[in-house]
Amino acid sequence: MLTALLLVAGCAPSQRESGGSGADDVPEKIVIGATLPLTGAESKSGGRFKQGYELAVELENADGGIDVRGTKVPVELKLLDDTTDQAKAINLAQRLITQDGVHALLGTYSTALIEAQSTVAEQNKIPYVNGGGAATSIYGKGFTYVFGALAPVRNLATTEMEWINAQQAAGKLPKPAKVAVVWENTSHGEDFAEGVKGFAGAHATDYQVVVDESFALDGKDFSAILSTVRSADADLVMVDAHLPDFITMQRQFISSGMCAPVITYGARGSEADARTALGQDGINYILSAVWWNKQLGNTALNSAFIKEFTSRHGTDPEWYQALGYEAARSLFTAISTAGSVDRTKVRDALATLTMDSILPGGKLSYPAASGGQASYPFVVQQNLPDGSSPIIYPADIATGAGVAPNPGCKR
Amino acid sequence: MGEFTTLAISAVLLAGFYAAMAYGLGLIYGVLRIVNLAHGGIIMAAAYLAWQLFERFRIDPFLAIPIALVVFFGVGVVIYLGLVRFIPRGPAGAVQSLLLLFGVWLIIRNAAYLLFTGNEQVIQTSYATSSVTILGGGFSVTRIAVFGVAIVALLGLHLLLTRTYLGKAIRAVAQNPDSCTLAGINVERVYLLTFGLGTALAGLAGVLASTLFAFTPSFGAGELLKSFVIIVLGGLGSIIGIALGALVLAFAEVFAVYVVPPYLTSAVGFVLLVVVLVLRPGGLFGQRVLR
Repeated sequence: MLTALLLVAGCAPSQRESGGSGADDVPEKIVIGATLPLTGAESKSGGRFKQGYELAVELENADGGIDVRGTKVPVELKLLDDTTDQAKAINLAQRLITQDGVHALLGTYSTALIEAQSTVAEQNKIPYVNGGGAATSIYGKGFTYVFGALAPVRNLATTEMEWINAQQAAGKLPKPAKVAVVWENTSHGEDFAEGVKGFAGAHATDYQVVVDESFALDGKDFSAILSTVRSADADLVMVDAHLPDFITMQRQFISSGMCAPVITYGARGSEADARTALGQDGINYILSAVWWNKQLGNTALNSAFIKEFTSRHGTDPEWYQALGYEAARSLFTAISTAGSVDRTKVRDALATLTMDSILPGGKLSYPAASGGQASYPFVVQQNLPDGSSPIIYPADIATGAGVAPNPGCKR
Repeated sequence: MGEFTTLAISAVLLAGFYAAMAYGLGLIYGVLRIVNLAHGGIIMAAAYLAWQLFERFRIDPFLAIPIALVVFFGVGVVIYLGLVRFIPRGPAGAVQSLLLLFGVWLIIRNAAYLLFTGNEQVIQTSYATSSVTILGGGFSVTRIAVFGVAIVALLGLHLLLTRTYLGKAIRAVAQNPDSCTLAGINVERVYLLTFGLGTALAGLAGVLASTLFAFTPSFGAGELLKSFVIIVLGGLGSIIGIALGALVLAFAEVFAVYVVPPYLTSAVGFVLLVVVLVLRPGGLFGQRVLR
């Protein structure tokens, strides 16, 4: 038995094998591990994050690599397919840490997978930066090695409400406005509802929440909820839904003859899939908010990112690629700041990081107060009948003017 | 129009889709005594077929129904000949059939991931958001059309089972396959045709679903579970019972919002399932021979 144990111990790979003899030595190369859902239910998003990660690594290496105490060290990305499976995301992360000896991890995509995988990172005390987990529940566990570049969904609701508030102040919307909050029963939906209700609560004389209902994912019939919204005569229909429910609900909303001065489905509405599913008339004046949009390309960092991405892929990047790119870039910056691949030093560098960013607000940091989750305003867009979806808020990055109330609604 | 009437009409329209979804599962169970776990996979595959026909050839999903019926009848025949006929009949083959058809479902699903990725797909017809006014309320044209097709399918199935030799043979085999063999009915052939027909009906449900909902390769799991609830509610082996079971489920889900939060309404069907299994194991409308 003792012999067997000694043999196993002797064969076990070193956790630092890629990094040279010690964590504080400048390694020959920096190995970053990552898993993404490249197949399975989240393969579409996973593939987009892969493009973001790979672009960040490629551009870093084109510049000679990460600057570690004056030495440029090339980066290697070990990327594995977790097949949209929580167990596989955990196992592969464990393998990357213990078998491949990666120096840090980039996260997978989707709240469920990141919830599972981040625990492994924390247990192994290895820096873990993700761009695909927005739920605040990921960052409320007291983990110190987990960092998220996606701002909380609560900010999505808050940013939309700020634009609505400006319209109300301009006399375009009633005061108080009746708000219907309808949200999918997930942590994403909960955060959204909290954001709307929190804003309405803080402006109690201006907003009155008349409907607050959640629904199960993949609903087949929303007539009951829509009937409640209709009965309440809501001015603001604030819905958070993923794409299939957005399509089903909006089709029912339109065919039942409903109309609202302001309607949003959270992040949904401005993407090409929405126009394909509902037609231009079906998405007109829908308000949506995402973490990043290519129309932000008026800053040098953004235009460089868009140019590099477009030249490689022939298409414009979306927020998925932008967040993957920024998550990776922030990790590289932290390693450079730490001057080391030592996990604790990189973790500390991430915790105190403030870097120029392509994200709204222009800065990216991971405040300890929010458990290491970045916080910045969302990019609010509105679909217009001419087929455009300009950024209408925040004002400093707006590319067009929003419309409120929906001129198609006769009330 | 009052809220109650609006919701009642919505529930009836939803019941049409639910019934169409469950016919195939009920037919196969009623005759072969097999729970076809590949049912959800067939629904999903048919949705993709309708999408492909629409995207490539601009064939309207409702016009694609005959194509889907033929294709999935063929698929059912192949699955039966290649796999199902080797399973022992009766309780001895129950677990085997579950595992086998679950495997078929996984294969269909993963093939769809391979072919079409996990992207959500949707069919945008020119009438996808059109509505008509009934009793003062607006209702989706597509939902009404789906309901109409479900009624036609119910009538067609009823006529097939009651007015044709094949239908009578199917009912006879559902009652007592051994006696049918003695009477000269080719029971294996009836099983084959029933499995093909049941699969074709699942294909029909998939095409109808594609006109209403966005779908991915994981689509079909919820539809399978609800179909199972419907055939238990309606009484195992009864086609009319399936239609009534679908009506009960749809009404329960739509009106449940008055009793439970909306996010729990999809669980109402499963609560009903448990209650019915405990109090009326033969279904709300009684267990009967296929008709």
